[in-house]
Amino acid sequence: MEELILKLKNEIIEVLNLEDIKPEDIDENAPLFGEGLALDSIDALELIVLMEKNYGIKIKDPNEGKDIFKSVAVMAEYISKNRTK
Amino acid sequence: MRLWITGSGVISALGVGKESTLQSLLASKSGISTVRYLKTEHTEFPVGEVPMSNDEMERILGITADTPTTRTSLMGMMALREALQSAGIESEALPQVALVSGTTVGGMDKSEQHYLDFLENNEYNEFIRTHDCGACTEMIADRFGRFASVTTLSTACSSAANAIIYGARLIESRSADIVVAGGSECITKFHLNGFNALRILDTSPCRPFDDSRAGLNLGEGAAFVVLESEQHALARGAKAEAFLDGYGNACDAFHQTASSPDGEGAFRAMSEALRMAGLQPSDIDYINAHGTGTPNNDSSESAAMRRVFGEAVPPVSSTKTFTGHTTSASGSIEAVVCMLAMQNSFLPPNLNFSVATDCVKPISEIRRGVALRHVLCNSFGFGGNDSSLLISNTNNCVNQAVRIPSHSSKQIYVNSVQHISAQVPFSREWMTNPVMYVEPYVRSMEPDYKPYIAPMEARRMGRLLKRALAVSKEALAQSSIEMPDIIVTGTGLGCIENTELFLDALCREGEQLLKPTHFMQSTHNTISSLMAIHLGCHGYNATYAHKNISFDSALHDALMQLRGGSGDTALVGGHDEMTPSYYTLLCKTGYLGNDGEMASECSTAAVIGTESRKGTLCRIADMRLFYKPSVMQLKEAMNTMLSHNGLNVSSLAGVITGFNGSEYSRHFYCDGYKDLFGDIPMLHYKHLFGESYTSSAMALYVGACCLAEKHIPKSLEVNTSCPSPSAPQALLLYNADDGKNHTLTLLTAV
Repeated sequence: MEELILKLKNEIIEVLNLEDIKPEDIDENAPLFGEGLALDSIDALELIVLMEKNYGIKIKDPNEGKDIFKSVAVMAEYISKNRTK
Repeated sequence: MRLWITGSGVISALGVGKESTLQSLLASKSGISTVRYLKTEHTEFPVGEVPMSNDEMERILGITADTPTTRTSLMGMMALREALQSAGIESEALPQVALVSGTTVGGMDKSEQHYLDFLENNEYNEFIRTHDCGACTEMIADRFGRFASVTTLSTACSSAANAIIYGARLIESRSADIVVAGGSECITKFHLNGFNALRILDTSPCRPFDDSRAGLNLGEGAAFVVLESEQHALARGAKAEAFLDGYGNACDAFHQTASSPDGEGAFRAMSEALRMAGLQPSDIDYINAHGTGTPNNDSSESAAMRRVFGEAVPPVSSTKTFTGHTTSASGSIEAVVCMLAMQNSFLPPNLNFSVATDCVKPISEIRRGVALRHVLCNSFGFGGNDSSLLISNTNNCVNQAVRIPSHSSKQIYVNSVQHISAQVPFSREWMTNPVMYVEPYVRSMEPDYKPYIAPMEARRMGRLLKRALAVSKEALAQSSIEMPDIIVTGTGLGCIENTELFLDALCREGEQLLKPTHFMQSTHNTISSLMAIHLGCHGYNATYAHKNISFDSALHDALMQLRGGSGDTALVGGHDEMTPSYYTLLCKTGYLGNDGEMASECSTAAVIGTESRKGTLCRIADMRLFYKPSVMQLKEAMNTMLSHNGLNVSSLAGVITGFNGSEYSRHFYCDGYKDLFGDIPMLHYKHLFGESYTSSAMALYVGACCLAEKHIPKSLEVNTSCPSPSAPQALLLYNADDGKNHTLTLLTAV
């Protein structure tokens, strides 16, 4: 799981273009939206693309994403259970 | 002065022309259906396509098969034809008519079809130059004859409404006698997939203001209205179809793709339109809402309508339930819908409505026999570019006297101007120690962006947005103006780097999993909106995308806005980037890559205002735009400009031209120079700053620096046989890059 969390952090940094942020700066248990990284709705859409592209997980309803993108740890757990690639 | 609408033309999913549009509206018959003409995998999304193939439109317009056209330009021609006919304007009269068109998509339909060909072979090179918005407008214009001036507004989904507003200003400032204004936009895979990436498309027919609404349906079409002053219309015996009594343009300054919960921009736009018309909210009998059907738009627009009208919101409907969201064309298409409703005394319904929610409740059935005195027509675009038009019935001629817009002859000063370009950024070092290049293509020097942009903010900004924001902040700091009243931007191509990334992924990987961030930045108005969002500026906001006069049009608009009383200060920018691949494509067309020239990119920001301040560089005394003018016409205009300002030709210390060193450019600037300007020293700047669509903004920068420093650097002189005087008092800027669009701008010392 730790390996997946690190991989995921690097992918998030890349797709969201988070210049100056390193994987160790992201607390995997901290919220991604609202506080923590304070991402917004467009970032959520980018994460939906990431989930499908890299892990084959389709998220139809952006609202569904809210629960999955709670934190990096929650995302990683969801991926490990649902990934198709 | 009352503005008359003396003609109109329309094409949309409801068919060709006003009659077919009217019949569909009266029959409550929507044009939205499954996709038929667009070649897309996304057949799950209903669309409002114009029920005609390109070939059919070409046949009707008499265009031969070997002429390059785009769907946007063809629809534009169909609508313009009807508008000119109904206004009784023959082609001989066009040199007195200005054309202003709004589009964002431009020639993207052909670009997305042939993008890989552009990169890999030479089979479809003719469509490289039809890609940009300005080229699309010129194709529309050239079908009919020679217009007095031509330009293109690009504020995403409010483009056509803003084209009409700019057109109104052209009449009010007496810059034109007759203006044809509107917009044209076809559906492309590019924006269908972009909207899909943003998850704002509905797989069912759209249901604006309904509890179950889940997004919009894309539509396409074009419409134009003919504007002229009452006096001019009466003199030529034209009849009014309606009056344009007010308009408002404001920026929501909230988010690039979302509206604020309280609808600030929409509230301001509607309030301003009412104020200008001298009307009360109770005078409005119908609102044609922007009403896209996205949860966000409809609740924000409802909040704004309640702020303006309180409990007494007039009947509202979104006719996007008939046409789909025709994006850049929606402002003019819906203005024509409003005019048809007024002329035929009915309220067009908001189709598909069943369950009320906290939104305004629209009218769901057609209402006939309703006399409409005044209506509001709303158009809101990405970036919060919100506009509202107030259109009045010809059967109701009251309130003529109270209409407020006026045009003064206020002096306009350049309070500051800054650049990021091929020369040292934010510096006048080029005046004494310019960087000289031999390469044919140079990218801009990049400053450190950290002091200007926070990292989390930078995550969604390509190079051009960063440059534009940094240079604007420098210009504002230099002028000691924290918040401008007005923001106007010129950009030929917008953030082409992001457009290419999205297009490349679309063409190579197909219509799935495209990045919303790239799409968001592909709209030309992203730059101007970013400034507004960053500064919290809710004032007038517009973007021009018309080839070499993108910046000139922006500056001209800013001058009219300042003189028309929209504010005292304006941030005016010219921003373009040149990616290596787009450079290669433009070289294929012969536009770039000519011997002797240097292609580059630059961002220029000027703060201009009605007051001279500490550090003010010069005055912008006058400005004129022309389309394919004769030498005689230019000469006359120059002499008029000079004499209006108490000057004559010998007062000019030089003419700053767009000559870039190539033979191609020599043809436009040097061959006829003597006929036009006699012995006035010819100056140039593109060997230092490079060629790009908005390099004319650098001409303003260079001219302002020379007047402020009271010195013309030797490096600007083309021909040393007539050296420039030591303390210049007046300089003329002359832009004529492709021999079509010409501008003259007169700068004087303070």
